[in-house]
Amino acid sequence: MTGSISCLIVDDDPFIQNLLSDKLQQYFPDIVVLAQCNNGQDGIAKISELLPELVFLDVEMSDMTGFELLTQVDHINFKIIFITSYKHYAIKAIKFNALDYLLKPFDLGELKNAIKRFKESRRDSYNPLTTALTNIKSKYAKDQILILRTQEGGMQLALNEIIRVEGDRNYSYVHLIKNRRELVSKTLSAIEELLEDKGFFRCHKSHLVNRAHIVCEPKNLHINLSNQTTIPISRRKKEAFYEWYKTSDHD
Amino acid sequence: MIEPQMRYINLENLENISRGDDKRLFKYLIQFRELIPERTAQLQNALQLADRVQIRQILHKMSPQLQFFGITNVVDPIQRLECEYQTMAIDELNTLVTKILVTLEKALIEVSQLIDYKQNNQNT
Repeated sequence: MTGSISCLIVDDDPFIQNLLSDKLQQYFPDIVVLAQCNNGQDGIAKISELLPELVFLDVEMSDMTGFELLTQVDHINFKIIFITSYKHYAIKAIKFNALDYLLKPFDLGELKNAIKRFKESRRDSYNPLTTALTNIKSKYAKDQILILRTQEGGMQLALNEIIRVEGDRNYSYVHLIKNRRELVSKTLSAIEELLEDKGFFRCHKSHLVNRAHIVCEPKNLHINLSNQTTIPISRRKKEAFYEWYKTSDHD
Repeated sequence: MIEPQMRYINLENLENISRGDDKRLFKYLIQFRELIPERTAQLQNALQLADRVQIRQILHKMSPQLQFFGITNVVDPIQRLECEYQTMAIDELNTLVTKILVTLEKALIEVSQLIDYKQNNQNT
């Protein structure tokens, strides 16, 4: 079929396989489901054999997680839409890596949006999955790379290069080493959600700080940073901040 | 044969996906009748063993199908169990899982009645 998109569904729930397959057939005639895989091992084999452009991948299967599957595939030359149930712990990792996901049992509007984003991304050579895999394999959070979706594609920011993030209503400025600064269209709260368990702390309503760039023990509600700037600690956050500072790992 | 009244399940999603195609509708109904007893048996077993991780995994797996069938009164207990499965007092965990099992048993009866009704209608 000319211009068609080949896809695989990898999920160990036959109900989900049928439901997604039926919705794709009904609403997306240009998408061809090459196969439905019942588990991770089957998924790995079918990806190598059928070379799909798109894989709908369950986050949690009985034999492995979706992320584990990805680490076992030889060549990542496809894109992923994760499929998961309500409030799964992996959603945070999916968002951190700017990957797409759908909540089961699939809202049609969300499915349409995810397919639209996939079609737009087909033109890009950039595939966030490659960086996501590096992140998954990283032992330490400081070695990970934050991926933010932008209109131009994806912006990659090494966590160890981020000194702090400053909120400005619907936008945030990411202050990096070597006096670099990036403006991103995300609120500070949204970035906090991605970074709070990776050595960052919201010390003030407008500031998120990286523990690795605090140069000396904070005093008088101020923090000195590696780029010779100082940011405030709000009175409300004082106690929580010092607790975090004492217990968080400097590495 | 009188059309059975649905108290535990809601057919809206099923009707939307089947779009009048009885074959497709049956596929989902029969799949429910096959999968749910298998999963409730697993759930009962996990409950007897007080295997909290297994309970969470089974509920997590079956949750989308239950949402799709509109069995709304199990959604909240499942979400609570998914979040608090490690910390919830065992008595409360037992109560919630038992409540889910009772509801599913009733939903299963409705689905079976609906299958019989539809099959009967097809044959006449």
